[in-house]
Amino acid sequence: MTDLFPPFLLFVAGALLLPLIPNGHPRSLAAVIVPVISAYFIWMMPEGMHGQFTLVGQELTLLRVDKLSTIFGLIFSLAAFLALIYAWHVRDTIQQTTSLLYAGAAIGAVFAGDLISLFIFWEGTAIASVFLIWARRTEGAYWTGLRYLIVQVGSGVVLLAGVVLQYNDTGSIAFEAMTLGSPATWFIFLAFGVKCAFPLMHNWLQDAYPAATVTGTVVLSAFTTKLAVYALARGFAGTEILIYIGATMTLFPIFYAVIENDLRRVLAYSLNNQLGFMVVGIGVGTELALNGTAAHAFAHILYKALLFMSIGAVLFRTGTAKGSELGGLYKTMPLTMIFCVVGAASISAFPLFSGFVTKSLILSASVHEGHYIVWGILLFASAGVFHHSGIKIPYFAFFAHDSGLRPKEAPWNMLLAMGITAFLCIAIGVYPEPLYALLPYEVVYIPYTTTHVVTQLQLLFFSALAFTVLMRTGIYPPELRSVNLDFDWTYRKLGPALIGAIRHLVRGIWGGIIGTGLRSINWGITTLQRAHGADGLLARAWPTGQMVLWIAVLLGATLLLNYM
Amino acid sequence: MNKDVMSNDMKIPETDPSKLPWLGRKLLWLDNMKNVDRIVYALFIVCAGLVAADFMYHKHSYLDIEDIPGFYAAYGFFMCAALVVCARVMRIFLKRDEDYYAPKDVESEAYPEDQLSRETIND
Repeated sequence: MTDLFPPFLLFVAGALLLPLIPNGHPRSLAAVIVPVISAYFIWMMPEGMHGQFTLVGQELTLLRVDKLSTIFGLIFSLAAFLALIYAWHVRDTIQQTTSLLYAGAAIGAVFAGDLISLFIFWEGTAIASVFLIWARRTEGAYWTGLRYLIVQVGSGVVLLAGVVLQYNDTGSIAFEAMTLGSPATWFIFLAFGVKCAFPLMHNWLQDAYPAATVTGTVVLSAFTTKLAVYALARGFAGTEILIYIGATMTLFPIFYAVIENDLRRVLAYSLNNQLGFMVVGIGVGTELALNGTAAHAFAHILYKALLFMSIGAVLFRTGTAKGSELGGLYKTMPLTMIFCVVGAASISAFPLFSGFVTKSLILSASVHEGHYIVWGILLFASAGVFHHSGIKIPYFAFFAHDSGLRPKEAPWNMLLAMGITAFLCIAIGVYPEPLYALLPYEVVYIPYTTTHVVTQLQLLFFSALAFTVLMRTGIYPPELRSVNLDFDWTYRKLGPALIGAIRHLVRGIWGGIIGTGLRSINWGITTLQRAHGADGLLARAWPTGQMVLWIAVLLGATLLLNYM
Repeated sequence: MNKDVMSNDMKIPETDPSKLPWLGRKLLWLDNMKNVDRIVYALFIVCAGLVAADFMYHKHSYLDIEDIPGFYAAYGFFMCAALVVCARVMRIFLKRDEDYYAPKDVESEAYPEDQLSRETIND
């Protein structure tokens, strides 16, 4: 059936075998080994189309190996490896198996060479991942998971509609670069957009990720959205509308991130903002820009996981991830604090950290192509992301006012996972060449120039200055126990309220019509009853004598008239 | 704000430094407000130095606006200030109670205790 062993099958096999291994260190070890083998397989696969077979008349391609799919396959394996070390202590079989299945589905999707296989893996990620939310086992998590599942499966259904139309139009199900225009391509574009958290389709992300378990959020943060980035890069590179969509995505989440209290939700907003940079890169579509998107996705998966890990460790030890409840933890969790700061410096693109050598590719590409306003927005978003992820996250969790909490340092497996991830974040920043070598196109870019370093440091240090000034003058909004309305209000409150109002209206009108109708029918029946009923006027049995009397009266009257 | 901090301080029992991890003890100097002030002064100096640096090298720029000395500094400072002010205004309209979406939301729920490992340094 296939000439190469598809890596996703490793994860499926792992997930099937895992429940048979004794729960504890042996099982955790087995889970961690799976992505290592997968990375080895991906590394060894020769470029080209493999694993092709025909199913009900359709030519399916399980393995399209090129530089773009390989870099995503490798980072997904690495992310799974790190997340599983972080989750070493978890003894919940559901989370263990679904984490593997989820990673496997994402890797399967990345190598899918046709739209049908892509669809199957696309839905696979949706179904496997929802269990990481439900694993929290609370009522709120149950409802959040349902909302998440509706959106994710919905995205797959839209994708399938697009695939069917595309096959109708072109007679091919190959997953190649597309031009936006036909309904088919719009459907496919929209399906990718939902998973990529395009503006107004983004709320599933901020809703679901903070609702997952401590370890589940780390797993979730890596795959779904970056799979969508990969799919857009494969299918819609150079589509201009993506530049504006991406720029919007970098912009509006940072405002929410500033006022959000739940630090894991702050991170979800900043994840959305980082996706915006990648989407802009896809929209610009030049070799430099696409290299930037791939590189940034790679670096982003690591530092975002690191940030979710550090806040997850705080949640694991204190029971809360809310800025209003935390503070002063640097004394008792200093290592977690340092790892968090490394993640924060990486996402903020400090020189010598990973974001610096990857995000700048996208900014340079946008300015090279003359998108000056977009460049300005991205620059603002870069400053903004430092503000809310770079400073706010570590500050409110580990510094700020002393919350009185004295949690112990995170357990060894969490520290190990964070340590490796932090090391990689710095390694990429200090020595980016190995990452550059993995990129889809040849890189002719030198990140460390005097101009770049000085301008970036100016941007960041003055953002920090703004934070300090606003904090000391009391203008900075304090962390408050609250939720903020976002677009999801439309379907969580407005939609149900509208449906309620419509139900009320329809019920009123229906009731009115039925009521009036029933009353008229009632009146008709009563009238008939009165006249023709058993005792009705016209149906009554009258005595014969009475009839004779009346006839006599009539005859008498006739006689009288004749005489007159 | 100040009152809040004070009442919090009163509730917090003294921490025995010997129970802190080694690194935590080394970082205790951050508890002293004077040292925090020193960090802020250091930040001022670094910022001033970075603007001064703009005059000392040849900037490779694509846009005219980038050639203005301290452009990136001013952009970073004012855009961030604007970001925070806008967000504060947004909060007036968008803020709701924590249980606004309850019970179909995790925001007002406690995290399940059986999935936590709440150990403190005193354990």
